[in-house]
Amino acid sequence: MAEPRNPGLSSGPLMNPGQTESSSPAVEMDPVEYTLRKRLPRKLPKRRNDVYVNMKTDFRAQLARCQKLLEGGGHREICVHGLGLAINRAINIALQLQASSQGALQLAANTSTVELVDDLEPDDPDEAGEPMTRTRNNSAIHIKVFYPDPQ
Amino acid sequence: MSGAKVKMREKKMKNQPASVQYPSSPLSMETGTRSGDNTPITERQMKVPHKGGWVRGHQKDGSGYSKEMPKYITAGAFARARAAEVSTMLKAVTKTTGSSQVFQALPRHMRRRAMSHNTKRLPRRLRDIANRMREKSLQAGQKKKKELAKSKSRKARRRHGNLLLEFNRRQRKNIWLETHIWHAKRFHMVKKWGYCLGDRPTYKCYRPCYRAMSSHCLLQDLSYYCCIELQGQEDKLLYALSQMTSKEAGPTFAAALCLSGTRQGIVTVYRAGQYPSQPLGPVTFLWRPRTDGSTQRQLWLWAHPTLKQDLLPELQSVCQCCEAVVPPVPPVVTPAEGSPPPQAEPENTCETVPIPGTKTKRRCKDGSGPPAKKICGDGTRLPGTPVTWKSSSTGIVINDLTMEVIRYRLIGPQSHTVLVETLNAATDCDGVSKSEVNGPLWWPQHCKDENQMALHKKQTDVFHILNGVHSTGELPPGTVLGLTVDDPRLTLPTKKVKALPCVNQAQEVDEEKSRQLILRGVPEDCCRSSLWEASVRDNVTDNKISEQELNRMKSEVLVPGSRLSPTPPQGRIPILLVHQPGKQVGNEMSGWGAGWDLLLPKGWGMAFWVPLVYRGVRVGGLNMSLKHSQNKAAPHFPHDYPDCPAGVRFQEEQEANLLDKFKRRPPAKRTNYIKHGCLAPFRCSWQQLAEEWELLAREGGGEGGGDEQTQSTTNTDVVMKTMTRSQSITVTKVPSIFTVLRNRKSLRLLCGWCRPTSSRDRRSGRVGELPPLSCSAAASFTAAHGMSLVWVRVSLLTKGRPEQHALLCAPSAEDLKLLGRKQESSGPLEPPHRDNFKSGIKRQKKGAKKAPPLSSESKESDVASKTDPAPSEDTKSSLQPSSDLILGIWPDPLPSIISHCSRLTLGWVTQGDFSLSAGCGEALGFVSVAGLLNTLLNQPAEHRGKLLLRNPTSLHYRLAKVHIEV
Repeated sequence: MAEPRNPGLSSGPLMNPGQTESSSPAVEMDPVEYTLRKRLPRKLPKRRNDVYVNMKTDFRAQLARCQKLLEGGGHREICVHGLGLAINRAINIALQLQASSQGALQLAANTSTVELVDDLEPDDPDEAGEPMTRTRNNSAIHIKVFYPDPQ
Repeated sequence: MSGAKVKMREKKMKNQPASVQYPSSPLSMETGTRSGDNTPITERQMKVPHKGGWVRGHQKDGSGYSKEMPKYITAGAFARARAAEVSTMLKAVTKTTGSSQVFQALPRHMRRRAMSHNTKRLPRRLRDIANRMREKSLQAGQKKKKELAKSKSRKARRRHGNLLLEFNRRQRKNIWLETHIWHAKRFHMVKKWGYCLGDRPTYKCYRPCYRAMSSHCLLQDLSYYCCIELQGQEDKLLYALSQMTSKEAGPTFAAALCLSGTRQGIVTVYRAGQYPSQPLGPVTFLWRPRTDGSTQRQLWLWAHPTLKQDLLPELQSVCQCCEAVVPPVPPVVTPAEGSPPPQAEPENTCETVPIPGTKTKRRCKDGSGPPAKKICGDGTRLPGTPVTWKSSSTGIVINDLTMEVIRYRLIGPQSHTVLVETLNAATDCDGVSKSEVNGPLWWPQHCKDENQMALHKKQTDVFHILNGVHSTGELPPGTVLGLTVDDPRLTLPTKKVKALPCVNQAQEVDEEKSRQLILRGVPEDCCRSSLWEASVRDNVTDNKISEQELNRMKSEVLVPGSRLSPTPPQGRIPILLVHQPGKQVGNEMSGWGAGWDLLLPKGWGMAFWVPLVYRGVRVGGLNMSLKHSQNKAAPHFPHDYPDCPAGVRFQEEQEANLLDKFKRRPPAKRTNYIKHGCLAPFRCSWQQLAEEWELLAREGGGEGGGDEQTQSTTNTDVVMKTMTRSQSITVTKVPSIFTVLRNRKSLRLLCGWCRPTSSRDRRSGRVGELPPLSCSAAASFTAAHGMSLVWVRVSLLTKGRPEQHALLCAPSAEDLKLLGRKQESSGPLEPPHRDNFKSGIKRQKKGAKKAPPLSSESKESDVASKTDPAPSEDTKSSLQPSSDLILGIWPDPLPSIISHCSRLTLGWVTQGDFSLSAGCGEALGFVSVAGLLNTLLNQPAEHRGKLLLRNPTSLHYRLAKVHIEV
């Protein structure tokens, strides 16, 4: 779960899972001996109405993008995804959308856990031997923003 | 007089009588010196034929006329001489010179429009001559046409055999890649490094190519990279190679993962035992996986062609391989150690197969015989050039495989999708072909081995799992996958399609398996491939079905457009897929530009190229590979290695090109780099920079160690002082050569120091353990790496687009204060410099016109004396204009570099551009370690790592952030 780069939209960088630094120091590794390289989070296939939120793009731009999808794009619902540090922002965007629609929009939030992969490259490759690959988990949120069906 | 002028002159004087050769009487001959009567004339005219006619003006070499007057004149001889002269002159006057038309003899007021077309417009007396001339010119035109017609008709020239001959002739000097014709139709081709390479497409596609790299797939032909194969005992190989590398600079050939053959590695090699000086360049290497119980290993080194000429002799000396194994073709022994001609074609390749190139050459000569054969592999190599060297003491064999293995690079997150769609794992051969045991093809024999088939099945499974991967960047960097595939021409789509990841299929693939692949990479035994076997490679190359044959078979299929079945037995090709890591350093855009390399046996280039292109990839040239590495924040080989011999050669070439381009402009339209305070617009003198900073650091370390907060303005004064001293010092002692810092630990230290201390990174984890930047730490660091440069990435904080050879400068305290106050401030300005050489150049020109015989020395001294009193800050020490002053460029002995401008110069940019991935100007360059540390020490903690960048054609400094990444 991450941001697949959307060819049509700005080539915003991927959400960097590394921004959640707190989880990184593991017990078994000596930080001097290894270089940590984070791999990209796994990507999922993406629909037109999926919005992956990151921390690098301007907040207003991301909000505007969602609004455009809902109003101009003709989508009845969009999905806002956020990973790690970007969870806050994803929630913020969803709430802003709802507030600006004067109650026409409804939200449905889901959380999940995403597995991330780190490579640990030994600095002294001959003695340390095996480079390690490590997985760690990070939280993600998926908020569905939709117009409720007129009954 | 230039050649063209001489030719023109000759043409003009064609019809003129030859210069007068006065038949000197025997008397005057014997009394040659005495008979002053005709000396002034004959002497001149004797000389004239040498120089190709009479030359206007004063002659430098000849003193012209002899000074002393003759004592007496023999009247008869003198009169005869004059008479001859007069008669020739009369003759010359009546004849028109070669190039002039008849009507040009007319005075202007008698000329009429279109006289040459309609002779009746001429006065009658001239008509006859004009008619005759016209006829003559018409005939000449016809003759030319006839000559053209003599060469073959286009149809004949385009006939297959003739065309091949022509192609073979054309690739004798520069090697053509197998995709050359395809590229030549679509790309601007350049001749570089002994190859013909596509530089950039002729259509506009800069952004589409970038988009392809970041969201789909970009294809490049990297076959020009040279492959060198080493074979031998593992420990001996490792021992030999360990002399060329150092563990301090990162993983070496012995890195555990690479050694097992599951990963590709990259390493910077040095001359044996010379680390950290004398680097050669980066090499990617790939070990062949161990075969059971054997210590014999095989290693492929992939090097840039400019690197190869340095690398190969070094490898030979390290492995003690000096016995050249001469290919068994004609026994022409050439010395193995013979240094390759400077930047000539990277010499040569292949193995023991009969060399197609030589054959065709011979055929070219006798012009008859069987049709030409297509050159496969390296066509420029002479027959009999050794390509294999072996050592009797170590048992190591070096094999030059240039152009033997084709390498295509696919860049982009969807490159695996393209591969999966293009390639199909080889189908098992049916019973019939299996039964013919001793067939020439390798695949049926391969199929008989149960183990091999099990392996093939396993590899195929792994290959299918790739479908479930969403982006190429998710895979472990450097993964290798061996595979055998069917001929991709069989599944060529009828129309170009864009390969897209299939969403539904992705779900089908076992989630668990793809997770394993992502975590662990490809299992070790799946990295094997028959591509490593020379015999299989040759077999596959020789047995390729020709395009024509294949089309015939396709046309015989019952349902048009359906796939050929059964698959022709020749169409199984062993390949290797090698994963290329994307951006690995830095925090943003990690994994950008990851992709796959496709390794093929030679001869199959186009068979794979076209199917790949039909999957909707973009094709990029050399230009794009530069941009790729720039966006990836990785150094690009000859450009970013100024300390390697290949890098030095590249810089010289680049300087010549840029200077040539600069000189082609009219002088008034050129940039005056002197006025811009730019000392090195075309070539960065790294050596001088490193020396100056080292000197400054040594002296500054003694004096100003205590006051950290020294303003750089006062610092400049120190610099100034030391610089004047440095001039004298550097002359006397022989300085050490600068190096580029590649020591991992030191780089990591610098990396930590470059960040502003207030940032989050500084507090967290690893960086905190590094010693903080202090005066003593910096001093010890400078002492260790004083003569070093460090490779930095610079991103601009505000607008601006950095260019090549832009200056990197240290900001003064006021600049940083300005930045703190106003975020939008665009940066300080450099006061314009004075061009003290301009007057010199003008004087030179004027002098050349007015007083020719003035000797050049007096001119120079004149200029120097004139310019010296001028109030120049720093030019006085080195104002000795050489005779070839070029307007706008500093003449050769440059003044002190670092204090030339108002801000201290730290280094230069090697390549810069607006980065589409970062959305701001980004540049890659080198700065002096001593200078950088000095700057960092003087900066307040929150602004640490801010530098100024100024383009050579501008006076505007831009603030930029410096990154050093490990």
